[in-house]
Amino acid sequence: MTGAIHQIKTIAKWEIKRFAGTMSGEVLPIAIVLFIGLIIASGFAQQSGIHLQDDIFTIGTDTDAVVSITSGDNRFSAYKIPQGFVPKEGDFDLVIIQGVVYASTSDKSQAALTAFDRDYSRYIVYVYNREKDLYAAYPVWIEEQYIVSNIDFVATQSGQMAFAPPDPRVSPVPEYGYSKIPTPSSQMGISAEELRKELISGENTDSGVERYTDVLSSSDTELKFKTPAQLSPSLPFDSIILVFVFIFPLYFTSQFFMMSIMNERIERNGEALLSAPIKPYVIIIGKGLPYFLMMLAIATMLTVLIEGTIFILFPIFPVILFFLSSALLIGMISRSFKELSFISIFFSTVATSYLFFPSIFANIHVISMISPLTLVIYQIQGESFTFYDYIYSTSLFFLTSAVIFYLAARNFNEERLFNYHKLMPRMMEFIESVISKKWTNISLFGISICTIPFVFMAQLMLLVLLFNLPMPYSVIFLLFFAAFIEEFAKSVGIYTLICKRPHYLTWKNVVIGSFAVALGFLTGEKLLLFATLAEISDSIFGAVLFASLQVLWLPLSLHFIGILTTATVLKAGGRRLYVPALILSTIVHSLYNLYFILGWSG
Amino acid sequence: MNPKNCFIIARKELRSLSSEKTIILAIVLQLFIAMFSSFLLVGLASMYNPDSLSQYSNIRYPVGYAGESSDFAGYLKESRDFVVYDMDLSTAVAALKERKLSAVIWASDIAPDSYYPVKITLYTIQNDIQASIVGVKLKAIMLEYEDKLREIRGERLTQTPVDIIIPPTNPSSDFYEFVYGLLIPLLVFMPAIISGALIIDLITEEYQQNTLETLMSTPVSFADMIWGKIAACFILVPLQAAGWLILLMVNGIAISGSIPIILHVSAASLALILIGALCALKYRERTNAQFIFSAAVVVVILVFLAFPMNTANIIVKLSIDSAGPENWMILLFMISAAALLSYFVTYYAKRVEQKFV
Repeated sequence: MTGAIHQIKTIAKWEIKRFAGTMSGEVLPIAIVLFIGLIIASGFAQQSGIHLQDDIFTIGTDTDAVVSITSGDNRFSAYKIPQGFVPKEGDFDLVIIQGVVYASTSDKSQAALTAFDRDYSRYIVYVYNREKDLYAAYPVWIEEQYIVSNIDFVATQSGQMAFAPPDPRVSPVPEYGYSKIPTPSSQMGISAEELRKELISGENTDSGVERYTDVLSSSDTELKFKTPAQLSPSLPFDSIILVFVFIFPLYFTSQFFMMSIMNERIERNGEALLSAPIKPYVIIIGKGLPYFLMMLAIATMLTVLIEGTIFILFPIFPVILFFLSSALLIGMISRSFKELSFISIFFSTVATSYLFFPSIFANIHVISMISPLTLVIYQIQGESFTFYDYIYSTSLFFLTSAVIFYLAARNFNEERLFNYHKLMPRMMEFIESVISKKWTNISLFGISICTIPFVFMAQLMLLVLLFNLPMPYSVIFLLFFAAFIEEFAKSVGIYTLICKRPHYLTWKNVVIGSFAVALGFLTGEKLLLFATLAEISDSIFGAVLFASLQVLWLPLSLHFIGILTTATVLKAGGRRLYVPALILSTIVHSLYNLYFILGWSG
Repeated sequence: MNPKNCFIIARKELRSLSSEKTIILAIVLQLFIAMFSSFLLVGLASMYNPDSLSQYSNIRYPVGYAGESSDFAGYLKESRDFVVYDMDLSTAVAALKERKLSAVIWASDIAPDSYYPVKITLYTIQNDIQASIVGVKLKAIMLEYEDKLREIRGERLTQTPVDIIIPPTNPSSDFYEFVYGLLIPLLVFMPAIISGALIIDLITEEYQQNTLETLMSTPVSFADMIWGKIAACFILVPLQAAGWLILLMVNGIAISGSIPIILHVSAASLALILIGALCALKYRERTNAQFIFSAAVVVVILVFLAFPMNTANIIVKLSIDSAGPENWMILLFMISAAALLSYFVTYYAKRVEQKFV
């Protein structure tokens, strides 16, 4: 053990030396110049604003005030027209004559109208905020109180009603008793001047991202009292910034690891290391360690910079592992730089979306918790997260990273590193390496279990994506795609066997293997579900995604029938029929789900 | 430089791209981004403007009113969006916790012309989409109530804003600005950035795989080879951009100046590809070249967007038919920038070649 640690240390030292060697000299001076350029450029962009949507709308008006209202908004170009002149339709997107706005029915004109409406309300707010008698300008103030409900998820799929249509004659009666809520005071308890100060600081200048945020007109600081216009759920646009601040530097650093692995392969530097009596996992850890520490240091630095607590690092940790493990695998499977680029860009987009999109809903819906970034946002907002929350949102990252690391370590040998087979055959070689010759069915069982975290990730992503479709469609799409993902994951082992060891798969072994896969899938599913996802699995989406939990033989037979369909088609028709086989088994799976789970037996 | 040799190299690179199927990955990737953008759009718009999805408009949400008798209760009861129950505060909040109500409201009894403000306490469920939708609907009523009170207290106002009468706006018009102002420039520029990264891979690969010497022993000159690779990367951009525009148009998004848009994107992407080629020639090694290139691209794009009438802005304006003849000036400017960069690349390539010989 100490020997291994010593070896890891040595390899890590080499790696640091190698990395420093390539980075210094030619790159460093230009990198520094670019960094300074970046600072100047962002300063410049901040000063001059982002000019993406300049002058897209035109206004013709006879009122000077209109010109000054839109002067701060560069989407508009306002033209003064003489009194009494009536422009032709199509000359301008909006015409404002004698204080009345005229818009045509075209989409563009309507969009201009909406934009002008917002500019006008901003102008009104600006005037009222400076009104001497503040309570005449703002006679209504709202205090928001949030109540925690314990049955969130079951009830709230995309804003659906959680109850039968309300009966207007009978007031609802709480079933579980109630506690006394103190009557709110009718006094504000805060002076008008303090309120004014908050109002004025909340006036947003119109630039960049805020143009989209002012759809929501929420201010970034949580106010105790709001005017009706300020009343909107707060959208954490912090998370957009967070992605830039945390995820991109981490992703960039993982790229260096990816390139280091790739370089070992194309320059064949790795050969010497591999012939030494060192275990592959030692090499991987040794090479990865410097990058891991670098990423951790970057994250820590950023945390200090945004004055966050140390707890921010906890949810970042599995993300780092996930990036590193995927960088390792991508570095090992790509044949060429082009492939490396495309796979890694693709991966990073998918991973960033997975991290980023749920976190937009951080203050709105529990689904946001599937992203560790949400926990970071909570920390920054000064709320804490529980241990359960942590497990809930990070376990998939830990598990997938572990599986990928294992797969990579198993294949970190000369035979795999120095061949240049195509992507798909390579993936299959990787998978074949973990299928034991003797205990094939046990291997299939194990592979099945290992695919579960990936399946869950993909399905949760799907959930996020389809979450916003109107209700019946979202469930139908989810049903079909979720079934497809599951069937695909289950088929991985069998398909590899068909391609690599066609003689092994006799009809008898097809049935036994299918059963092993189904059993493994079910076991993994149940294990992970009970551990983490109870909340989601309670909802109707959960029922669709993860089959029913009550009876075990039902989902087992479902998984068995699904994989057996795929395997039979493959066995009978050969590997060319892989895609049709998957589609067929997806249909079988979906019908089964429809029939048993949703009870649409009619 | 020999165009025939360039053509051979370009064809070879395109063939290897299609055999590696990586280009398919790139297109899937762009589709994915488009899908997610529209998800953002539909998701956020429907959440904050519930009426944009008609599905929500005919639901009446139950709310509890627990306050003192106030005009506000009257406003609530008149609304078609809510069923209002007069309840005791504690009971109402307990019912809210069990989701039998979607909000509880308490309002203070203040005379409309009083010198004091009306304070409303709003109880809603935390972290909940439904609460957000109910909140938006309540907001509309509160704004109406505020307007009424403001009118009553109007005499006390010392500053009166200019009165402009605005017809009712269409909440779904946010889509317009998003699609034309953000999605279209994003989609047509994605291929340009991808091609910029691609050229680095193609050039550094020759260095790092040690295939350069073999290549140099053929009649193909080094500059031919570089330009062949640039041509391969470049040709992909207008193809993909046109593909996107057609796809958008099939989806019912009318785009007016497609051909000028493609010209603008091509010119800008040629500049990006040439910057990529320069990085690759300088470093001859992928890690460093990509690193410097991506950093440089961020800086260049930032600076670019900070200038009025940049290419992205022109594309937005072209797509909605708002661009004037000035767009040809910008195009000319971009083409001359690309020409200048081409000169650098050729010069650099020749110098590298001399070192070889």
